[in-house]
This record gives sequence, structure tokens and C-alpha cells, in this order.
Amino acid sequence: MLYRARHTTLYRYAAPVSQCLSEVRLTPRALPWQTVLERSIETTPRAASLDERKDYYGNSVSLLSILERHDQFSTVATSLVRVDARPEMIEATPAWEQVREDVAAQRTAEAIDAVEFVFDSPYVTTGPELVAFAGGSFTAGRPLMAALSDMTHRIHHEFTYKPTTTTIDTPVLETLRTRRGVCQDFAHLMIGALRSMGLPARYVSGYLRSGADYQGAEASHAWVSAFIPEHGWMDFDPTNDVIPGTGHITLAWGRDYGDVAPVKGVALGGGKQVVEVEVRVDPVEG
Amino acid sequence: MTKSNLTLRAERGAEWAYRPPHPTHWDEFLDESGRIRPHWRRLAAGLRGLGLAEFRKRADVGQRLIQANGITYNVYGDPQGKERPWRMDPVPLAIGEDEWDRIERAVAQRATLLNAILADLYGSQRLLRDRLLPPELVYANPSFLRACHGIVPPAGVYLQNYAVDLARAPDGQWWVIADRTQAPSGLGYALENRLVTARTLPTLLDKCHARSLARFYEGTFEALLRLAPNRAASPRVVLLTSGPHNETYFEHSYLSKHWGVPLVGGDDLTVRDSRVYLKTLAGLNQIDVIVRRLDDDFCDPLELRGDSLLGVPGLVQAARAGTVFIANGLGSGLVETPSIMAFLPGLCRHLLGEHLLLPSVATWWCGQDEPRRHVLNEMNGLVVKPTFPRFGQRAEFPASMNAEARRALVARIEQHPASFVAQEQVDLSTAPIHTHRGLEPRHVVLRALAAWDGASYSVLPGGLTRVATGRQSLVVSMQLGGGSKDTWVVDQRASRQREPRATLRPSLVQGVSTELSSRVADNLFWLGRYAERLESTARLIRVLLPGLSGESELGRGADINTILHFLRGLNLLPAEFKHAPIAQQWWRLQGLLGQLVFDPDRPSGIGWNLRQIRRLSWEVKERLSQDTWRVLQQLEKGFADAPSSPERRYVAALQQLDDVVIMLSAFAGLLSENPTRGHGWRFLDIGRRVERALQMIEWLRVGVATAPLPDDGCLEVLLQAADSSTTYRSRYLTAIRTRYVLELLLVDEGNPRSVAYQVATLNDRITGLPEPSEGQELGEHTIGPRLMSLLRNARLDELKRRDAKGERLQLEAHLQTLRNGIVDLADALALRYLSHSIPSRLTPSL
Repeated sequence: MLYRARHTTLYRYAAPVSQCLSEVRLTPRALPWQTVLERSIETTPRAASLDERKDYYGNSVSLLSILERHDQFSTVATSLVRVDARPEMIEATPAWEQVREDVAAQRTAEAIDAVEFVFDSPYVTTGPELVAFAGGSFTAGRPLMAALSDMTHRIHHEFTYKPTTTTIDTPVLETLRTRRGVCQDFAHLMIGALRSMGLPARYVSGYLRSGADYQGAEASHAWVSAFIPEHGWMDFDPTNDVIPGTGHITLAWGRDYGDVAPVKGVALGGGKQVVEVEVRVDPVEG
Repeated sequence: MTKSNLTLRAERGAEWAYRPPHPTHWDEFLDESGRIRPHWRRLAAGLRGLGLAEFRKRADVGQRLIQANGITYNVYGDPQGKERPWRMDPVPLAIGEDEWDRIERAVAQRATLLNAILADLYGSQRLLRDRLLPPELVYANPSFLRACHGIVPPAGVYLQNYAVDLARAPDGQWWVIADRTQAPSGLGYALENRLVTARTLPTLLDKCHARSLARFYEGTFEALLRLAPNRAASPRVVLLTSGPHNETYFEHSYLSKHWGVPLVGGDDLTVRDSRVYLKTLAGLNQIDVIVRRLDDDFCDPLELRGDSLLGVPGLVQAARAGTVFIANGLGSGLVETPSIMAFLPGLCRHLLGEHLLLPSVATWWCGQDEPRRHVLNEMNGLVVKPTFPRFGQRAEFPASMNAEARRALVARIEQHPASFVAQEQVDLSTAPIHTHRGLEPRHVVLRALAAWDGASYSVLPGGLTRVATGRQSLVVSMQLGGGSKDTWVVDQRASRQREPRATLRPSLVQGVSTELSSRVADNLFWLGRYAERLESTARLIRVLLPGLSGESELGRGADINTILHFLRGLNLLPAEFKHAPIAQQWWRLQGLLGQLVFDPDRPSGIGWNLRQIRRLSWEVKERLSQDTWRVLQQLEKGFADAPSSPERRYVAALQQLDDVVIMLSAFAGLLSENPTRGHGWRFLDIGRRVERALQMIEWLRVGVATAPLPDDGCLEVLLQAADSSTTYRSRYLTAIRTRYVLELLLVDEGNPRSVAYQVATLNDRITGLPEPSEGQELGEHTIGPRLMSLLRNARLDELKRRDAKGERLQLEAHLQTLRNGIVDLADALALRYLSHSIPSRLTPSL
């Protein structure tokens, strides 16, 4: 599938801003099944400088500095991306306890790489409540894949998708208690549950194709990636109870939202602010 | 013990008696059979020769130096928010040379090792792949800053400076109890301690051949300059502080002065195009080296800590681009983690191919099974700490817990084993300190300080000895009220060649006097304004106060009506006074004036102004001469404890006001004598002139324009408060007339208190300020001359006239125009040179 994605972020300030430094992660990643054909980031006012680099997780980051006085700051990121079918999923996975032990003992090089995603991170803590929640899916001896699919399914069915009920700071335990949230909350919840079981899990930010029957297409989307030995990382979207395929475009990944926020920054001045985000992802003939 | 008793003992020469109380602990001074250890003998003989009485005098001199120089240590959470005087015990700690050589080698080795560990963990992370360090200690560690991964500092120097706390066990062995790697403190205090002993025990310092510290400070600073990425130009260095609230702010300001580099806050710096610039009056100056005293995660609000706006947005990017050297490298705090200590012997063999020379205190990380079992079994001899320490978290001592608390701790460890680390409790050695009872033993910890010298690490020959809080206490913490000692590395052998004094090559240091940051200029401007506001308030109250007793020098006119008129007009009267009958106010006014003098919470009172001055002078401490600083310190003294009874308050108030006026004259005198009339001085003086002009305009409004008839009392108050009575009498030889008062206080350009004099001076000061390159219209260059011509063309005969209702509306309007002009002038200056915006964070988006 070929998509044109357009991600607009607009900040409106109560007081003028004399300068602003902003870090954006708005360029889709290059992956075996994902090719970025075109991309651009435009800002108003125009950026005085733009530095691009790869961050710790290999995501593309752009650092923009605005030195003009302004009271609105907008970023428009557009990209043309081809998304092909992902590798076939494997059915025969080891029991989840086995994976936990492999990771803990770091028997393999890939386990050493994965271990980074098993610890608490700023937005995701682990604990007995999450162990209890995960226990519903991770029963004794169950193959990892089956347990992961089950948890994805449970979050979709047992939780209510409710935009505007949460801020990005909603603690995982609150999501667990209120049983509602948005895609970021569900991703954090599932990551916390997996890590509480000793399994590595990471946070993926990206886009959903617009107009599909999915929830979470109006802004950037978020889902979960879990470590499966000898296969690598495999994605799960608990908001929509699917395994991401050609309808999901991957922007960036990290331990949690904090590692991959699409736009953040520090402004001189500004005072109170309002932020508006709009995402369009349309299939392109080709 | 009575005083005579003390003297008697002093005469007998037994006053230095010292008995270490803990036979099980190592004593630094006496060996196990009670003999003075060899490396202390010269020092002990010197002290004995001095005698206790003389030693006490010297100790007092030292204490006074500490107070006068404002050597302080801030205590977090102190309700008074006060700086505490630095505590320094006058008896130095002596360390023998042979022993020191071993310590020196071991500390240098440890700095090299920790630097190599940082290079690995912020680079290839081979140590994790080779299983020499559990990944959890890095990946779960909040001190591991992923944004800094991949940054290689110039010469690979992550740790430019390093501090390590050493404790000596009963068998004489030194152990490392803590590493300080992100923004180590101690260098400034250690130097200041030495300067105090050099003033109080100069001969003894020399006789003991205590190694000089100077070479270390100069050599390592020079090496620091050579780490600047841009070698072609002479490097510009700044010291980055989080401000006067930091616990070791004194040291920041002290070192900045010692090295001659600007002390800056995060908002003084800006990053453009991956380069760091200092915002100065003359524009942006690129910075090559930052010595930062901000913790790692506070250094860059964009890429590091998400909930703080301290620091410099973009600093990580500048480090990444390699345009600036940051000491210490961002992320260096990682190796402060106590749990890493457990793995250092293996890491040392692996990375340096050496045996670790100085052992760390035994450390067990509960994230591993074997160590956890040991901790749970042997808990009583251990200190339990969080694996990743966070501010405010303290160590726990199971030995002193009751059974229930201990069970709870065990439960917490079992639930989150990886979150705990336990360390053996070292029985700290003791050393003699001086108390009012003579010499007494206290537990000590030695903080050794090292820095990169261009080729390897040099260790300061000495260090900062820290002293436990009480006799039995094993807690050594400046936060909790512990003390410190100067530390002497002494030569036991015969006299030694003196090392030549190293000198700093002047070409390496950029002149800093022109590099006045906008923030410092702003603080100096306001310091000038508050000092002047304080002076005028003090002068006025000093004139009004005696009038209350009915026996003033003001003569018949200055009765209570005059006093009330002034207080009311200057908005110093609380609402309840405004309409009460005079008879009731007579004595209540006494109380009010007492409050105005002493109460620091009463806006525009003396105490309140003092508080502002105090705050601002701390902000710019490194810019003030030592004498100026002392005058400011003196200013506060009498206000610390105000008498409680109104009458004593009233008497004390008069005394205080006199002192304030005298001290402020000294302050002003020092400023005018100051030979370096840089831009800093200009802004201070501009602040004073602006304020004096505004105050005088206000006085003239109250004392002339709106003065009720008869107004001779008001005029007399004005002349006296403006210190112009004598001038008036010698010049006009007549009774007080409104016209002449206006002439003297408004338009006379020769009277240093007149409005015209202030405007003329302001115009002169403004002419010398740097002009920003952008071609903006210079408002302040047109306002000044306009004000001057307003004053020169004033028709005093018309202005003084009262209309049919007895009002002087024309004068009021004229004063108002002048006032607006001065305010516009100050605003124009602030906009150009001093403007600050408050940073804000963009809400992270979805």
C-alpha cells in the first residue's frame, strides 16, 4: 500500500514567543516492510536551523530552532510511504515463562538487546496489580504468541475507548482501574503488564490509515511491540485488537511515550498555550 | 567549667589533653598506645607552642573571616531560607606523605576507571555484553541518559573533575564510601579552608611543610582550557549554577571569582545552530567551556528532564555537535550509582588491567540472588540504600530499627530486590576537633578531589575533611549540620624543597569584565535601586521618628500632622490609621515606625528593602569586591533580632537607622572608588540614580506640591531628609522658602540629591553603554535630554504658586511628567539590555 500522510501540529500561545527550540519525531522509520519515498517537515515561522539525527532507538529526530517572534507555531510533516505485508507471524512460540527466563539470563545476543525494554520507564511502572491483570492471559505454560493475542483482545474488549478522558500523564494503574482511555493509555497498560511478567515490551508511535474502521486515527496512534525469541519484535494493537499490517505506518519506538513524543519543545515566553493536532493518511493510487 | 579554671589549666600547659573515646576505632592523631602519630608531631608541637588561649584567638579570627567573606552552605528546607555560615574546625587534619602517595595513586586510578566505564556505557556498551555489569544497573538507572549516548567529549574526558569520600576503618585501611561524578563539590570549600588556615596559622602551615594547593588549581584549570573544542581562539569559560538556592552556591560564586570566569544561570546561555552563547549586553558571545554545577538531568529541559525549566535548552545538541566542552560530561552521574561499586574490581582488571588500589566499602546489590541472601542474613551491620538514589531518599540503618520496622524493610526488599543495595557500615576513624571544652574526638570522612591535568588525573594534595555532627554520630553530612577541616599533607622528613608556584598563563584567559550578562546587569540595576530606596526610606524615617517624642530638632513645625502627612503621602500608613483621631495615633505611630524599620514582611519598609538587597547581592556576589560584600553583610547585622517591647524597639530603631545611613554611605563610597568602572558598575549606578530621582520627585510631591498649610514643617523635613539643610542655610541665609527648596532639590545640577543631578548623571552613564548592532531607535537617548531641558526650563516662580483653592496643580503635573519620563527611561533601558522572557514548555503532542 502507498500512503500520503500529513501530520499537523499547531501551538497557539497567549503571549508572544521570542524563540523556540523544538524536537520532533515525525519521519516514519525505514523498515523491511516500510519504505519512505518522500518526506518533508515545514514550520511556520520558518526554522532558522534544522538538525537531523537518529536517536538512541534509531528513530529520526529533527531539532528545529525558531528565532522569530511569533504567537503561533505550526509544524506540518508530510510523507509518502509504501507499506508492504509484514513477515508471516509464527505460530509455534515457546511458553512465555521460557522467554522470561531467557531474557533474565540473557542467554542470547538478542536477549541482551531486548532486556532494555523489561525495566520500568518514566511513563510505565510495573507492580502486583499488573501481574494480576496479566495473569488472566499469561496462564501457566501458555505459548507466548497465544498469551499476547489474548491480552490484546482483552484490552480491546474490557476497556472503553474514550478520547479526551485522559492526558498523556495518566498513570497505568489509573487506566487499569477506570477501564478507559485512548491508544496511548492502552499501549502503556499492556507494556506495563508484559514487563510485570518479566517480558520485554516497547512503545510504538505511528499512523493509522484514515477512514478505516479503526479507533485512534485522528491523531498519531500508538501500539505495542513484544519480544519474541528467534523472531524479533512483533506488534500488537490493543486499541483495535489487531496485529498491525499494511494499515499501520510506524513512526518511532522507545520505552514509552516519553521517548517518542512527536513534537516537544521549549519556548521563551508563550505563557498559556493550546495545541491542536490533525493527522490524515490517505492511500495513493500507484 | 569557669573561665578562671580554663586559664589555670592553660598555664599548666595541660590544655591540649585529648582522649579518643573509641578504643575500637582508628584515631588519626594518636596511635593505639596513645602516642602522637609521627606525621602529627610538628603540628602538635606547633599548637602546644601557641598555647590554647592564643589558639582560641586565632580560631575566632578564622570564624570572623568565614562570616565576613560570606562563606556559607545552604540547607535545603530551612524554613528561614538562610545561608548557614560554613563550619570549619580550626585544627587541621594531617596526613603523612607516604600514606598520601598511596591515596593519590588510588584516587587517580579510580577517576581513570570511572571515566573508562562512562566511555563504554555511553558508547559500545561492551561491558554489558561481556557481562561485567548487570544491564539493569544501566538500563533501569534514571542516571543513564539515553540522549547523551554516543556523545564523545574532547579527549574522551567525561570526568573533568571527580570527588570521592574516603573513610578509614579500625585497621587503618581507607575505604571508598561514595563517588561524586556529575557535579562534584568541594574544590571551593577546600581552597577557602586553606586560605583561612593560611591567615590564622601561617607559621605552622609553613613549618609542617603542608603541600601547597595552588599548583593543582592552576594546573587543572589550564588543562580545562585546553579541552575547549575550538583551539584557535582563546577559550571562553563559564560556570553554570542553578542559583543562590543551591546548597553549595558559595562555592560556585567563589570558584568563578577565583578562575575569573562569569557565573551564569541557564537563562544567561542560549543555543543557536548547536553552539552555546552567553547573552551579554553587547550581544551573543560563543562559549567554549562550561563548568556546570547543575545535576545531569537539569542541564537541558528539551532533551533531559521533562519537568524542569532550569538549564539550557539545546545543550545536549551542542555537546553532540562537539562545539563546547562540558565539565563534567552530561550523563556522568551514572557512575555515582552505589550498586556499581560492587563490580569495580572486575571492571578495573578488565578495563585498566590493574588491581583496584582502593577498595570500595563492601556493597551488595539485592538484584542478584547470592548478595540478596547475604543482605537479608547479615542486615544488622549494613546500611540499606535505594539502588538508584533520588533526592530526599536517605539511607536506612537496620541495626537501629525495631523488629517491626526491620520486618517491613525485609518485606520491601523481597518485593523489589533490584531496588535495594546494602553496604557495610564503616567504623569511621576519629580526629581531634576544637570545642569549648578543649580537644575532642569526632568521626571524619575525607573527600579527596581530583581533576584532569591534560594527561591523566591529578589529586588535590589535601582535600576536604568533613566532621560528624556529634560525639557519637557516624553521620557526616553538611546538610545535617556537620563541619569541615582543612587537610594538610605533611612532610615528615627534613625540610623539603618548596615547589615553585605555578602561574596561570594570562593569554589563556579571556577578559571577562566586558562580558556582563544581561541577568547580572539586571540584578545590579535592581541592587542599585533597592540600596537607594533603602537609603531614602531610612533618611526620611530618621527625620520623622524623633518628632514623635515632641523633642526633635525640627522645631515647632514638624508636629504630628507633618509626620502623618508624610507617612500618608508616601503610602506608608496602614488603612486603620487614615481616619483615626490624632490622640490615638500618637503612640500607635511609634509602633508603626518600629515595624517599618524591623519587619521584613512589610513592603517598602527598611527590613523589606534589606531582604531584597540581600537576595540580589547573593545573585551577584562574585561581582562585588570583598569590602563591598562586607558592608552589605554589616547592614543586616542589627536587624537579626529586633527588641520585642515597643519602647526598646523605638530606641533601637533610631540607632539602626543611623547605622543604615552610615553603611550605605560606605557602600556608595566603595562603588565610586571602584577603579574598574565597567558596565556592571554603570548599571548599579543607573539603578541608584533612577531610584533617587523617583524618590525625590515623590518627596517633592508630598512635601511641597500637596503640603497643607502651614507648610514650613514639611519643607524642613525635606531639607533634612535630603541632607541639604546646611547647604540651604549657607546659600540662602534666610528662612525656608518654597522657591529655594525647589531650586535646591529639583533643578540644581550641582546638588547630588537633586532631580536634575540624577538626570544629568543618567545621561552620562547611558552614553557609555554598548550599542546593540541592530539599528533600533534608541529611546533612552532621546528621553534623557528631553527630561534635562524640562528641568532647565522650569519656571519655579509659577510652579510654587498655589491656586485659589490653595493647591499646586501645576507643580503636581510637572512632577508627574518628570516621573513618567524617568520611568520610560528605565523601561527603555530594561527592554534593550535587561529583558527576560520566562521559558515555557510546549505540551508534548500526540
